[in-house]
Amino acid sequence: MNKKMKVFSGAILASLTAASLAACSGGDSGKTELEFFSTKGENNKTYQKLISEFEKKNPKIDVKLVQPPDAGTVMKTRLTKNDIPDVMAIGGDSLYGELARAGVLKDVKGSDLIKDVQPSYLDMTAKLVGVEKNGVYGVPYAANANAVIYNKDKFKELGVEVPKTWDEFIAIAEEAKAHGETGFYFTLKDAWTGMVSWNSLGAALQGEDFAEKRSKGKASFTKNYDEAADKFQTLLKYGHKDNFGKTYNDGNTAFAQGKSVMYLQGVWAIPEIVKANPDINLGIFPMPVTNNPEENKLVSGVDVMLAIDEESDHQKEAEKFIQFLLEKENVQTYVDEQSAFSAIKDVYQEDPKLEGIKENFEKGTITSFPDHYYPQGMNAANILQEFLIGKKTNKEEFLKKMDKEWDKVEERK
Amino acid sequence: MKKRGSAYILMTVPALLLFFAFHTFPTLQGIFYSFTNWKGYGDFDFVGLKNYINVFKDDRVVDSYLFTFKFAIISTLLVNLFSMLIALGLNANIRFKNTLRAVYFLPNILSGLIVAFIFNYIFANFLPEMAEKFGINSLATNILGNPDLAWVGIVIVAVWQAVAFNTILYLAGLQTIPSELYEASSLDGAGKWKTFWHVTFPLIAPFFTINMVLAMKGFLMVFDQIVAMTGGGPGQSTESISFLIYKGGFEGGEFAYQSANAVVYFVIIVAISVVQIRFLQRREVDL
Repeated sequence: MNKKMKVFSGAILASLTAASLAACSGGDSGKTELEFFSTKGENNKTYQKLISEFEKKNPKIDVKLVQPPDAGTVMKTRLTKNDIPDVMAIGGDSLYGELARAGVLKDVKGSDLIKDVQPSYLDMTAKLVGVEKNGVYGVPYAANANAVIYNKDKFKELGVEVPKTWDEFIAIAEEAKAHGETGFYFTLKDAWTGMVSWNSLGAALQGEDFAEKRSKGKASFTKNYDEAADKFQTLLKYGHKDNFGKTYNDGNTAFAQGKSVMYLQGVWAIPEIVKANPDINLGIFPMPVTNNPEENKLVSGVDVMLAIDEESDHQKEAEKFIQFLLEKENVQTYVDEQSAFSAIKDVYQEDPKLEGIKENFEKGTITSFPDHYYPQGMNAANILQEFLIGKKTNKEEFLKKMDKEWDKVEERK
Repeated sequence: MKKRGSAYILMTVPALLLFFAFHTFPTLQGIFYSFTNWKGYGDFDFVGLKNYINVFKDDRVVDSYLFTFKFAIISTLLVNLFSMLIALGLNANIRFKNTLRAVYFLPNILSGLIVAFIFNYIFANFLPEMAEKFGINSLATNILGNPDLAWVGIVIVAVWQAVAFNTILYLAGLQTIPSELYEASSLDGAGKWKTFWHVTFPLIAPFFTINMVLAMKGFLMVFDQIVAMTGGGPGQSTESISFLIYKGGFEGGEFAYQSANAVVYFVIIVAISVVQIRFLQRREVDL
């Protein structure tokens, strides 16, 4: 086993060294090699297409796309070695905040790069960085959203409409159950998939500025998340028989094959579902968490932010590449192929499948992912998974544990 | 004599340098960082023993120790039991001996990750389907999704793979026993069981020692199987110490804190290995 560990870490080491060597080479052929690191894997084909177009227009620049699995962790191990990619496409989550505060990313405040970005996304990402630093360290590019994905044909069979309130929503799941169908296809073997619904529930129920108040001791999971925990347990009643044995990939396939009426995921799952069954007739809607339709907002975050390494030797080329990605037609290509929403003004998502949440983007009834503001080391997804399994912790113990882990991580800083 | 000495030095120095550069130096670095608040990047300050105090207060760390020891002890015993049985079988006069030896060695040359992914599929799809057909309801769901059973799945995979290597060591041990001893014991009228207990086992005791130590040390560092099969879940029920160090250190951005955990763990593993060797060596006999 130990030998294996060594081979394993050796392989990682070798690939990292290879990557870093590749990053320094380049100059000899008169071509500049630009490393483009993406923390998201689903958009590989779209990036490749855009990159080959860019290389055609700029024959002197060679863009190398790097999309390793578990990229967030790879990114951090590379930071440890001070080996930072020239251009990064990272999620607008706590990783971005960490990198920005660590002074790794170039400040693009006031530059042309952010002039077309929708201001709401700039605000959202500025919050991740915090008040210590007053700059813009990345260009919000594409946005995603948490949603309930539903099978339109099954809705028709059951004779139900898109719900506007929590009670209507649960009534549909109840109706499905009565007809022998699965309401929601849970994929909780992958702990993170629980966070999708947790975020939808939390965003509507946790109250304003939860993270900030939590750090000051004015709010807590025990006080503010009680209802969210209850509602999650309600959702769980309408799952299938192996809620904790199936993975995200299993879920995409199962939903595509019509094994459930609804699927609690994000829009990023749609291309995967369609890949598994191109004929599926699906639609989406924001999860109605309360019984007041006014309070039900769509949870949306920045899925891709483009950032430049502060110390890259190829600043000009990096900017040129980002400039190219930001051209309207290229943004359009990206959002069309990735079922994403544009963070750039005047580019819209026109896919009829996504009709159900378009209104939220137009009216601005959007709120951000609560867990993007949790401290990173607290491992919320696994604590939630443990609670949902329901063998080790009940609701009170679970909420207390969330509070305790939060405090522990803060104390260790 | 002098010339010979320099030849020995020439042979050892490169290995020593490599070992120092890739093993000792990172260890010292880890110890150094465990006294700081380094996140893995950016600036850092010295924080004294704060990380160590927090490690002892963290019940997530305590839970991971409990899991790892439970896993390591059970797996070590099972691996040694099975590999000794297989080695005895393969050492006997049977047909296709060499082919069978190769077959039993096969799991060792497969990558731990790949083996785990294959078993992952078996646990997720094949087993539940089988269980359903035969009406065993308690096994109709993925055992890796059940916090009480997930560790069993990991034990099965780890043992299945580790048996191969330990079998080879036992086989090597069995072949060092001269056949005259067996002849003598059969002349004395000893049965199979007595022969094993009084001749075979004492003579392969050195191999038993090394197998116990190697297996225990390997299982205490369990990592690949966990990454590929459960990711530490469900909940935190299969979070081994190495996995926690990796996950908390890199994903959680607490490099220095987990370095302190790693230093504590390093001390514990050294202590266990020393105790094990001392204890087991007492029962060895020499020819």
